Amino acid sequence: MTFLTLLQAKPVLIGLHLGFAILGIDAFLWLLGKLRGDGGSHRSLIITAVVGVAGFLLSWLAGGYYYVIYYGTLVKPVIKSGLAPWVHDIIMETKEHIFLFIIPLAMTVLFITLLDKEEMDRLGVRPIATWLAGTVAVLGLLIGAMGFVISAAARWGVIK
Amino acid sequence: MNKSKLIISSAAAAILSIIFVVVITIWAEFSAPLKGWLKNFSGHHWTSKSIFSVLLYSVATPIIYFLPCKHADTCLKRTLNLLLIAVALGVLALTLFFAEHYFKLI
Repeated sequence: MTFLTLLQAKPVLIGLHLGFAILGIDAFLWLLGKLRGDGGSHRSLIITAVVGVAGFLLSWLAGGYYYVIYYGTLVKPVIKSGLAPWVHDIIMETKEHIFLFIIPLAMTVLFITLLDKEEMDRLGVRPIATWLAGTVAVLGLLIGAMGFVISAAARWGVIK
Repeated sequence: MNKSKLIISSAAAAILSIIFVVVITIWAEFSAPLKGWLKNFSGHHWTSKSIFSVLLYSVATPIIYFLPCKHADTCLKRTLNLLLIAVALGVLALTLFFAEHYFKLI
């Protein structure tokens, strides 16, 4: 088994999707704390935002690959014929499209962190920057909760 | 590099990208030819939407950056507030649309 084959294994892809998303969520929660508390150096703000964006980008790639290659043929039919077919029609459809909001939003927050403390306070953007960083984290958590519901629907679809 | 203009450009491009995702998603649910075209473009309608939304954001950001803007500092907060509203409305629109589409409430 090559490393590439291992990466393409279904449980590994799901793990990478979730793991990188957790990295992105944690980074933006950390950034939220730094913005609220005016703590940390300017450099640490930028690095935290870069880590968050990178986490969401990698989560998007791993999750997208899994979704396009495996979900439609293997998971969707199980959910649709299971106890909660609405999970695909409402939760999955909403999740896959809301995910597309995250990268442009997170990139904008990253660009805000390029402002130093003085500029941020002079322009009065600290409160809205805090809200936007929190929104990225909340969207990530919401998408994570939706992913849990989808996995549970697939499990109960098999058990039924 | 003008940081205020960069942030405004990114926020405005993000708003355009969100509007694009919401409109193309709802439109494609009602138009089989559009959904078919999206599917044929990359092999999957979601992949096509992903590619186009990233392209839109990546192209719109530098274009908006180089547009003349005399009051970047005053526009900054307003654009970021609009981005927050666009995200909230986008999430609400897609959630309500797919719920309505499934339950056929209207």
